[in-house]
Amino acid sequence: MKNAVYLLSIAVLALGLYSFEVRNENKQLERTVHAQYTNALTSASETLSTLQTSVNQSLLFQDKNALNKELDNIWRLSDQLRSSIGSLPLNQEVANNWIKYIGNIGDEARIAAEKGSYEEWHDKMGVVATNLRSLSNEWEVATSRYFENDGDFSKWQRVLNNETEDEQFTNIAQNLKTYGETDFPLTASESDWLKKRELQNLNDKEITKEQAIEVLELLIPNIKDAAYTVTKSRDDAPYPFYHIQFVKGSRMGYADITVKGGHIISFLSERPVQEDKNMSTQDIKDLTYEFVKNAGYKDVEIVEFRENHEVYHIAAARVYNDAIVYPDGIQFKVSKASGELLGLNAMEYVQKETIKEQPVNPIDWKQFFRPGTIVEEESMIYTENDLFELRLCYEVIARYDSDYNETFRVVVDAENHEVLKVEYMQ
Amino acid sequence: MNYMIRSILITVLLVLGIASSIDQTKEAHAFSGRLLERGSSGDDVIELQARLQWVGFYNGKIDGIFGYGTYWALRNFQEQWGLEVDGILGPDTRNKLVNASQYNRDWVHQQIAQGNQFTHYGNTPLAQQTKPGRGSNGGQGQNNASTVQLPVKYSERDLQLMANAVYGEARGEPYEGQVAVAAVILNRLESPDFPNTISEIIFQPRAFTAVADGQIWLTPNERAKQAVLDAMNGWDPSENALYYFNPNTATSAWIWSRPQIKKIGEHIFCY
Repeated sequence: MKNAVYLLSIAVLALGLYSFEVRNENKQLERTVHAQYTNALTSASETLSTLQTSVNQSLLFQDKNALNKELDNIWRLSDQLRSSIGSLPLNQEVANNWIKYIGNIGDEARIAAEKGSYEEWHDKMGVVATNLRSLSNEWEVATSRYFENDGDFSKWQRVLNNETEDEQFTNIAQNLKTYGETDFPLTASESDWLKKRELQNLNDKEITKEQAIEVLELLIPNIKDAAYTVTKSRDDAPYPFYHIQFVKGSRMGYADITVKGGHIISFLSERPVQEDKNMSTQDIKDLTYEFVKNAGYKDVEIVEFRENHEVYHIAAARVYNDAIVYPDGIQFKVSKASGELLGLNAMEYVQKETIKEQPVNPIDWKQFFRPGTIVEEESMIYTENDLFELRLCYEVIARYDSDYNETFRVVVDAENHEVLKVEYMQ
Repeated sequence: MNYMIRSILITVLLVLGIASSIDQTKEAHAFSGRLLERGSSGDDVIELQARLQWVGFYNGKIDGIFGYGTYWALRNFQEQWGLEVDGILGPDTRNKLVNASQYNRDWVHQQIAQGNQFTHYGNTPLAQQTKPGRGSNGGQGQNNASTVQLPVKYSERDLQLMANAVYGEARGEPYEGQVAVAAVILNRLESPDFPNTISEIIFQPRAFTAVADGQIWLTPNERAKQAVLDAMNGWDPSENALYYFNPNTATSAWIWSRPQIKKIGEHIFCY
């Protein structure tokens, strides 16, 4: 009995010590999180205030140099603030609207500096400066309670959890949404881009779900007579499509096929165990082109080819007047062992870009690049610029003449010679 | 005395014979016979890079990925040896390269397995061309062969982080659902409403349950990695969704207000 009491006392003491230790650790973690969030919140509030001042200051200048300095500052602060807001535990709606609004200000500043469209900037920012001031004030009031809770993390968390119902935060969310829509309406090119993304210009005849299965079986004969489950996209979806899930033996996967026109936009099949047919890369390319032909994609060319562990990922794109139209791309996933098509993504290709005529001005690469840079390949391509406009460009594969042969893909607008992309090629 | 000299001679001949047969064993490993070109990967590419380095044409990392560095090195080799310059390793180039170089397969693969930093030049003893990678066993070294080829804009770090997120969020979901979760992360990367990097998107407070409950730190399986790889290569079964939620567990009224696109497994995907 005596021994049992003795052992029990030791156990209670050990448990007490353990729980004390755990409590201390938790407290320490709480303090760390509390300190970090408070720091992030303070930093975001200060950056917001600096940004607001900077936008106001930009309205002062007409001088190009003075204004460019301010625009550069605004672009930098906007990027910094986006990152700060992203690290705060705000509810998703407030965070999203803030990030978008602040990002729009930064983008406008960058474009104004690049294009020299200072008058446009002044016209737009008059209203934005006022709205930003009002948002800044609301933000200060809404977040004030985060700073008045004497280091008690539980109180802090209570403020955080009630944030969605809090009137101040609801106001900010609502105002951010309204200001975002009025201060930064979609441009024509953004609107066109959205229409393409939402397949709004697809005007083909509607098909039934049985016809959708026929389309799928015609393109992917391997899954003929599979067990199908077909559902239609939700009513809110911007474009209606059939979502077909299939199982055939060890093959299972899905395909999304548009209701209008029965275009396959996405297909993936899980790879069943397959016999290795010792396919060469050329065999795989030939099979891909055969599929391209059977699917009626008459104007596409393979542009990238990546061998991975069990599959090849192949990217193709439309060719128009000998230029590759990258935004009209198709991706293929092909089994290395058997050459079977395991995936197809033709979303971008389904609604082709409208291509406008554009002048091409020749470019002297010897002047454009530093000595020691070798232009290895040059071709014409279409790609989107930052404003979502489709531009005809030069695509150049250039390398340094050095031990490591460092290689870059450089995309230059064919009309105004603006550099749209520089990618380091591994 | 004569007997002794004869014995020594026989022993020397035997040793030389064994040594030459070992060397031939090494050469028997030369390539599998398939064509190699830009975009290829695997053991054959490791051998190609090692052999090109042996003869001084390749100075990059021996990682098994046939990228531009390997391509230019191969073209330079073809040019110097009077072969057709196409940057493709076909039978003619292969034969010339095998004859002109040596390849110590076991040594190279050992360095890769140990994560060592190493080179494979022919003019320096191999033992002098290796140093341990990070970590006591060198397991974290920089010369590990790459397992995947990603589109230019993504890194292996992105792949790893996203695979953790997908495994933590959707490991019980069908493959399509896992690709869709990865696609949502990438759609957020394109959207002006979200932060600018994959890491910031995944660790945005309140964005992903797996971050909040720590499941993001579970070791992802191969399926989750494949799902991320497919999403990075363009597949988006979510059809441009920015959010998803499990209707059985979602507590936010706001998420129900989002326009819905489709349901995959237990998740509803929405804008």
